[in-house]
Amino acid sequence: MRMSRTVDIELTVNGESFAETVEPRLLLSDFLRETLGLTGTHVGCEHGICGACTVRVNGVSARSCLMFAVQADGATVETVESLGTVSSLHRIQEAFRKHHALQCGFCTPGFLMTVKDLLERHPLTTNADIRDGLSGNICRCTGYDHIVKAVRELANERDGVAS
Amino acid sequence: MPMNDAAFQPGPSTPVPLSEDDVLVSSRPKYVGKPVQRLEDPRLLTGAGRYVADMVINRMVHVAFLRSDQSHARILAIRTEAARAATGVIGVYTAADFSDIPPVVATSRMRNYHATSNPALAVDKVRYVGEPVAVVVAKSRYLAEDALALIEVDYEPLDAVIEPEAAAASTTALLHDQFGTNVIFERVFQTGEASQVLAAAPLSVKGRFRFHRKSPLFMENRSYLAEYDRGRDLLTLHSSTQIPGIVRDVLSSLLAMPGKVRVVAPDVGGGFGGKGSLYQEEIIVSALARKLGRPVKFVSDRMEDLASSSQGFDELVEAELGFDETGRFLALKADVLGDIGAYSIYPWTAALEPVQVVSFLPGAYKIPNYFGRVRGVATSKAPTGPYRGVGRPTSVFVLERLVDMAAHKLGMDPKDLRHRNLVGADEFPYRIGSGIIWERSGFVECLDRACEVIDYEALRQRQQAARKQGRWLGIGIATYAELTGIGSRISVAPGMPINTGNESATVRIDSTGAVTAIFGVASHGQSLETTLAQIVAEELGVRPQDVEIVHGDSAATAHGTGTYASRSAVIGGGAAILTTRALREKVKRVASHLLEASVEDIETGDGRIFVRGTDHQITFAELARAVYSDMQTLPLDKREKLEASESFDPYLGTTTTATHIALVEIDPETYGVKLQRFVVAEDCGRMINPLVVDGQVHGGVAQGIGAALLEELVFDGQGQLLTASLVDYMVPTAVEVPAIEVSHLESVLPNNPGGFRGMGEGGTIGAPAAVANAIADALAPLGIEIFELPATPERLFRLISAAGAIPGKAGAGFPSGIAQETNAMEE
Amino acid sequence: MKPAPFDYLAVTSIDEAVRALQASCDAKIIAGGQSLVPMMNFRLVQPELLVDINRIAALSQITETTGGLTIGALVRHVESQKSQLTIRHFPVIAEAMHHVAHVAIRNRGTIGGSLVHADPAAEWPLLATLLDAELEIHGPDGERRAIPAEFFLGPLVTDLQEGELLTAAHLPYLPAGAGAAFDEFAQRAGDFAIVSVGAVVALRDGVIAEARLALGGVGDTPLRAQAAETHLVGKPLSDGLLAQAATLAVEGLEPNTDLHASSEYRLHLVPILARRVLATAARRARGACE
Repeated sequence: MRMSRTVDIELTVNGESFAETVEPRLLLSDFLRETLGLTGTHVGCEHGICGACTVRVNGVSARSCLMFAVQADGATVETVESLGTVSSLHRIQEAFRKHHALQCGFCTPGFLMTVKDLLERHPLTTNADIRDGLSGNICRCTGYDHIVKAVRELANERDGVAS
Repeated sequence: MPMNDAAFQPGPSTPVPLSEDDVLVSSRPKYVGKPVQRLEDPRLLTGAGRYVADMVINRMVHVAFLRSDQSHARILAIRTEAARAATGVIGVYTAADFSDIPPVVATSRMRNYHATSNPALAVDKVRYVGEPVAVVVAKSRYLAEDALALIEVDYEPLDAVIEPEAAAASTTALLHDQFGTNVIFERVFQTGEASQVLAAAPLSVKGRFRFHRKSPLFMENRSYLAEYDRGRDLLTLHSSTQIPGIVRDVLSSLLAMPGKVRVVAPDVGGGFGGKGSLYQEEIIVSALARKLGRPVKFVSDRMEDLASSSQGFDELVEAELGFDETGRFLALKADVLGDIGAYSIYPWTAALEPVQVVSFLPGAYKIPNYFGRVRGVATSKAPTGPYRGVGRPTSVFVLERLVDMAAHKLGMDPKDLRHRNLVGADEFPYRIGSGIIWERSGFVECLDRACEVIDYEALRQRQQAARKQGRWLGIGIATYAELTGIGSRISVAPGMPINTGNESATVRIDSTGAVTAIFGVASHGQSLETTLAQIVAEELGVRPQDVEIVHGDSAATAHGTGTYASRSAVIGGGAAILTTRALREKVKRVASHLLEASVEDIETGDGRIFVRGTDHQITFAELARAVYSDMQTLPLDKREKLEASESFDPYLGTTTTATHIALVEIDPETYGVKLQRFVVAEDCGRMINPLVVDGQVHGGVAQGIGAALLEELVFDGQGQLLTASLVDYMVPTAVEVPAIEVSHLESVLPNNPGGFRGMGEGGTIGAPAAVANAIADALAPLGIEIFELPATPERLFRLISAAGAIPGKAGAGFPSGIAQETNAMEE
Repeated sequence: MKPAPFDYLAVTSIDEAVRALQASCDAKIIAGGQSLVPMMNFRLVQPELLVDINRIAALSQITETTGGLTIGALVRHVESQKSQLTIRHFPVIAEAMHHVAHVAIRNRGTIGGSLVHADPAAEWPLLATLLDAELEIHGPDGERRAIPAEFFLGPLVTDLQEGELLTAAHLPYLPAGAGAAFDEFAQRAGDFAIVSVGAVVALRDGVIAEARLALGGVGDTPLRAQAAETHLVGKPLSDGLLAQAATLAVEGLEPNTDLHASSEYRLHLVPILARRVLATAARRARGACE
């Protein structure tokens, strides 16, 4: 069995600096969950389809199952844990709660990080735009309707449009 | 999910009278029926939920399973030496290492049923691609997977058993030799003389319908973590299961550890029935934890989950409906062949799914003569098990297609034909041909409401106008009824070795005044931590956020089977009501002493206990202190135990109904199908939380849309699963699912403490049929019917080609012109 | 689904990358990793060495060069979609990028990765074929250029030799009076296309001066529908002409049957999409001429 050399990496996750030694093959998703204990990032397919593992790398959304931790050397990573807390939810989280946009909650962290990206970088003029922007995240519980409503409210708020 | 036997006795059908409380008390805040924000949300939204994969225990090791790459083969040899020597490997095990664990057998008293012997790891033979053959224990999942590649298995291939009809006919290619057949059960349901009446019927329609196999595809792959306390000989399995109580019971027996097994379902990422059965991996990680004295974790990956989690549906149905010239249904006859896969799954048996197809086939209609035969045939594919809707997505698809075909033949509007035959408001209780008895529910009301919401008549006119422009618009109705919240009278009938008809609750007030409510159900997305808290809070007079709900832990209750079969609101909620009312009586008795008032004048609400019409009041904390801690205030005989425990068994079930209407537009050239609107009108009785009800309907409909348009597990002739990734097993995204318009109505409240009807599965029951009918309606001018789901563009292409309806050349026969050929990007 | 072990090297220059590729007999380049990492997670690909080129800054640029745009191999799908240069000169790129998977994938996936992965149903191989791209390749023997027809050899197979690295795609500007369009048919948003079609139509005085029609998902590589192109050139634009060309687009095609579509269905879709895309391209060409 071939063994690879380990690599030292330094990165910032949710504002905190980390210096760790990793095997090159360690997926960023596993690094976040197992090395750092940030289990809010969920793993649903490990082939880039379901979107549950979506985080933000250097300010844009990315699948953490399709990156190796070594590739994040020097990067700034944000996970769901960077949003609000149980006692003080982030506005996106509040909107999801208000509109019942989650059921089992497994896909939710990936949706939240995707929505953060959509709100920062996409116009979301129509609900079709919202659905298109969400189409890289699979939810099996909600049928998406309530998620779309939550994002519509957030986009309107961003744009100063009455809901 | 439960199976139904013929000849049910009608139960009491009178609506529950309002309780004295409801009449007398208006001051106690009402939470049931309110869109209370979910109590589980803050943790799930912040990544603070705890799913099995998130759990870490000291000295924990990881496993990976070597799974069969053959669908049917004899195991000649398994060589594990190289894998044992690999880096980080702690052990490699095969069936021989677990010879002390008996195979699992899903028994049933059903006649003509062969119970398969289901080994935890394959013994002698493999029977589907994905069946666990060996297990590697290693320091990480990465290292365990490295070692898998070093295990060598010699197989002697046997004939793959793939096509259900050929499998049923074969006496040589047998999956389980000892039965002498692949048909492992057969049942018949009969009322009247269906064959004779059909033969004499003035009109009839028939078809050969195929509903293809699905994956429940919960987002959290199955995950198990077993820990063994060697000092106490206690085994705890943390499992992504819907049925911790059932798993506890069977593991205790398999591992010969009575009283020493606890099964806990922490946060569970969806189930939809797919986590509602016992899995081999649960047995193996438990046995390994005991064997190794270390915590053992298994987290399935998506590929193995698609290959090995229980699969859904998969039936071939030949059915015929006879009717007279006025459209009155006379007789229905059906022959159902269920492809059940390799094993009869525990505890439900392989009969669960196909038998429900036959028992629900007569649907919500008056059809005086019925004959339905069902056979389940074993094939060399993964076992089937419960998937949301169980049987009824297929039965509703078949029946509702026949109804639309009949309407077409009669030249009658499909809505009117349904009206003519639905069980009317004054005709309940109504016994259908399979023996199921419908209690009063809003069959006709839901049809009317759905048509009203979508403005059916206007839509038909719009369709006519669109057709003139060459556009293919289709409107599809599906009306169905289901039994939910089913009590012990029904579920025990087919002879399953468990009682699914009962749940208990314990509600207590501790010495700080905090309220805890303990249930045997196991929420995995259904919001039970909120809805059960709403019920307890309203009944007791506290706020929902003051109620801690304990669920999903076999150690918390003596008996409880879990969450499945649209049962938790009715049965768990019923137990919550009965229990909390008993506790509130105790609270009132104690308070009457403390407040020096009569029990009748004591009221509770918003966390306070007070004397009606006065400002005399105490808090629950003060009450608790008086009972538990303060030795002065209450005499000994007044210090009641602030705890109650009751169970609830609805005995029969409640009838839930809905009408779904889908509007589709099909691209007349590419045959791409786009859902334009989807309306649901449903009667789930009294809603506990309308937000949650809407969410359940939406999610169910989305799965039904997937079943109708996209989802299919495809096997090749050798039994290889070709759809083993999410690239190929396609579930709907936000783009494929339209906004879903839900309208609720309460006809008459059903006969259970809360007036609730179960509704968790309904979306998936109605949607496939509604979409299929809409597609058939869009294609009606071409004379095309839909007999097979999913109706993929490829299948539509074949149907339209076969009908000779494809315009010869591109652009011919369609309104064309550059101006109209704009790209959607520019709109 | 965890990848097999490998060694990892992050390089900062093209030369360093080429040297690293030569040093191992089983090295793989990783750029965006959106196709490679899934294959590694499935253990379908198990390289000994992974050479990470993400830190070669020079490969991330979109630049104007004489006669066209040069798009660096590391340019992300989203950048090619939103760059002012591509929007001005090749709006068809944004139109096609909209169909590439989903937001997070487009944020990370690269043009070079898509071209080298050479999925015959993917958008960039089709765009390269449609836009007569020249692919810039660096290797032990220096730099060379390849045209798509020679570069794409089969499904997931290219002309890249051992030790070679794709560094950029050069896209020559479309002729004056040209319009281009792209469309595809997939079962779900973001899925690989069952059939994809791109077209360029250039008009001069109402006559088609140049026509290109590229097809994806219907062969082992993206293809140009030469019979259709030939039929169009030199003729005055009309609906009928485009429809005739669209029917010619199937000439010589032998699409595969797979899980999601039969060969026959793909053949059915080609003229429909071809007609729609040609019509859109022609309309845009007329707009460009006004």
